[in-house]
Amino acid sequence: MIAPAAVMIFLFFLMPVVLTAIFAMTNMSTATGISGGVWQVTQGAVNRLKADMPELASGIAEPRFVIDEEGLAALEALKLKAGFTAELRTSHMGEVFPSRREAERVIKALKDRPSTREVKQISDLFNRSVLNTRFETRDELMASLKRLGFTLTPAEQETVAKATYTGWVWTTENFRIIANSPDMAQIFLNTAFYVSVTLLVFNVSYALFLAITTHYMPASTASIFRAIWLLPRITPVVIYVLMWKWLTWDSGFISMFMGQFGYPPKNYLLDSAYNAWFFVILINGFIGASMGMLVFSSAIKAIPQAHFHASEVDGASRWQQVRHIILPQLRWPILFVTCYQTLSLLASFNEILLSTRGGPGKATEVWSLAAYHTALQNYTGNLEYGLGAAMALVLVVVGIVLSLIYLRIFRYDTLISKPLIED
Amino acid sequence: MRILLDKFSKSFGSTKVIEDMDLEVGSGEMLALLGPSGCGKSTTLFAVCGIHRPTAGRILFGDRDVTNLPSQERNVGVVFQSYALYPHMTVEENIGFPLMVKRVAAADIKKQVADIAALVHIEDLLGRRPAQLSGGQQQRVALARALIRRPDVLLLDEPLANLDAKLRLEMRSEIRRLQKETGITAILVTHDQVEAMSMCDRIAIMKSGEIVQIATPSQMYNDPRTSFVASFLGNPPISLLKGKAEQGAFVLGENGLRLPLAALSGIPDGTALSLGVRPEHFGTAGGVPVEGRVVFAETQGRENLYDVVLPDGSVLRSIQPVRDDVKPGDSVRWNLDSASTFVFAEDGQRL
Ligand SMILES: Nc1ncnc2c1ncn2[C@@H]1O[C@H](COP(=O)(O)OP(=O)(O)OP(=O)(O)O)[C@@H](O)[C@H]1O
Ligand SMILES: [Mg+2]
Repeated sequence: MIAPAAVMIFLFFLMPVVLTAIFAMTNMSTATGISGGVWQVTQGAVNRLKADMPELASGIAEPRFVIDEEGLAALEALKLKAGFTAELRTSHMGEVFPSRREAERVIKALKDRPSTREVKQISDLFNRSVLNTRFETRDELMASLKRLGFTLTPAEQETVAKATYTGWVWTTENFRIIANSPDMAQIFLNTAFYVSVTLLVFNVSYALFLAITTHYMPASTASIFRAIWLLPRITPVVIYVLMWKWLTWDSGFISMFMGQFGYPPKNYLLDSAYNAWFFVILINGFIGASMGMLVFSSAIKAIPQAHFHASEVDGASRWQQVRHIILPQLRWPILFVTCYQTLSLLASFNEILLSTRGGPGKATEVWSLAAYHTALQNYTGNLEYGLGAAMALVLVVVGIVLSLIYLRIFRYDTLISKPLIED
Repeated sequence: MRILLDKFSKSFGSTKVIEDMDLEVGSGEMLALLGPSGCGKSTTLFAVCGIHRPTAGRILFGDRDVTNLPSQERNVGVVFQSYALYPHMTVEENIGFPLMVKRVAAADIKKQVADIAALVHIEDLLGRRPAQLSGGQQQRVALARALIRRPDVLLLDEPLANLDAKLRLEMRSEIRRLQKETGITAILVTHDQVEAMSMCDRIAIMKSGEIVQIATPSQMYNDPRTSFVASFLGNPPISLLKGKAEQGAFVLGENGLRLPLAALSGIPDGTALSLGVRPEHFGTAGGVPVEGRVVFAETQGRENLYDVVLPDGSVLRSIQPVRDDVKPGDSVRWNLDSASTFVFAEDGQRL
């Protein structure tokens, strides 16, 4: 029985994390593809080279014309006047021209007087520019550079190869980007704000409030309340968010209502960052609170009736009962809900994606949504799988660290070593 | 403080549990509420401490009507059957809880907890949690918690049910000692008649929501009002023989035992009756000889217990000082003390 379980665990639980970690260490994107690449002196590569080798960078960015055997052979094949080939070979063999104009001046001056069309035709044959040329192997690129008159040390060759490679490579660059980008810092703060406020206000406090108030209600009333509070959880999220959108649209309920007081209609959801956060937290909070309410309600039910009777007889008021009898016995459920909801708030972004899409601007962009936008869905079209994976990996690490902190705070060891309910 | 239940009724939805109960517990008295399971003992207790509101009737503490006061304002101490100790608090916090919620100063609480803990002999357990205590220790903690507020009334709901036989004996006298020392008015709920008889000043026997008889233990034992009371008290229990009235005598079966009894004068012949004979009134002493066959013998150490089948098939129980000349199967001719028997009409009323 261990073997199938191990296989499942490996395939469905470990593999995704391992793959994420692997992707995170690459610069894969739509541009690099996920298989191998070629060597190509793109404008981007030139820019990258500028810092280390300015001379080379400006050199290879320019077109270059070289009179060589290869070109002469091609010229012969064109069957123009034989004199062109002969003269070029004897007088100009091996010459390098840094621009088309210079090359064409020489060609025009040939004794057999090529026509303007022929000059163009001939010069093309000797065009040895590397800008935007694809080289299948690294050696081809180097040979080509050498012909152009760039003699490079092995170290320089390495730099050039790196700069011109179009496939993906192993790199830790993603993490440097995450650590240094001000955008990322803003997204991080957004996430911290979103998770902590939703968690504290709704998933824990509000859920506790609901569980405790329903506990003190007659059983039938309480179950009606619980059923209503469960609705957000059991409504398909697309429909649930759509209802919020109806509420907040410029022709929606709030606009209509505010219209009564003379306010012009507007989209309350995306109107300002403040409003967007307000609704995003509400949308997620009402879904999250229902789960906490269920967990806390059943935990309160598990407290023996006699404890409530005893504390009443002992003179405890409702509030004291909540404070001294209920809450201390809910430590484990509170830990569970806090942990679970932290992780799910960190990881899930569907409600935000469906409601604000991270907007207005990037006001409600949270980490997981940003990872999704980076890796799978964005406007520029260049999906950065590597960077997205790195962001996801950061999320995993943050989740683990937070869980460990929670276990510490709630003193998990004392929770499991001593039975809580005993009489 | 006196407790008075005046026409107290309690129903849950449509189930009437208690109707028009009158009960008075004198100041400083300890009363046992004794009855079979489900007769409404806990319900009565919960109404006294305010956990349940009565459906009708009044509850008075002294002259104060507390019927509509919440538990918090009644100043009662309750020991629940399950003890209901708070698992997340230490013994000290448990005992101090009633003072803590009254916002008594911490130092005061500490001192009072120490005093009451000494009273119930658990001084050295104060740092533990309930889960780390034996049943008897938990019981003392519950008692201490009930007493620390110096309540007007102490209510105990089967406090000894969870204890082993030896501890039960110890705690019986312990609780009685504490109740006497503090002079508190107490109600003890139990279905154990020995507990009720040994601990309490008076016993109220309940049957399906009604109090059948209230009396001191010895009155109750020697003068039961109904066959239910007679069979509830006494261990081993009383034997009840079914018979008929015939010319002022109790007659068992055809040509069977014939017992002339003063109580039967004026009862028409043929009236169905039952005769209660306690085991100690059937044996070597007594005036009326009865023949039968021993079917069961059991020694209880100091005494032996016998079941004797009479010719008509009814069974008499006998308890006697230890002897080893009688075995199951032996025919015996023992004597019945007819003056100590009780006759009951068919509906259970004593005649
Ligand atoms: N909350 C309730 N709702 C409905 N019926 C109840 C409720 N509480 C008690 N009863 C009923 O009232 C009757 C008396 O219950 P109570 O708990 O007083 O019995 P008891 O004498 O304490 O019995 P035991 O010795 O088993 O504890 C029982 O028939 C019980 O089913
Ligand atoms: Mg009970």
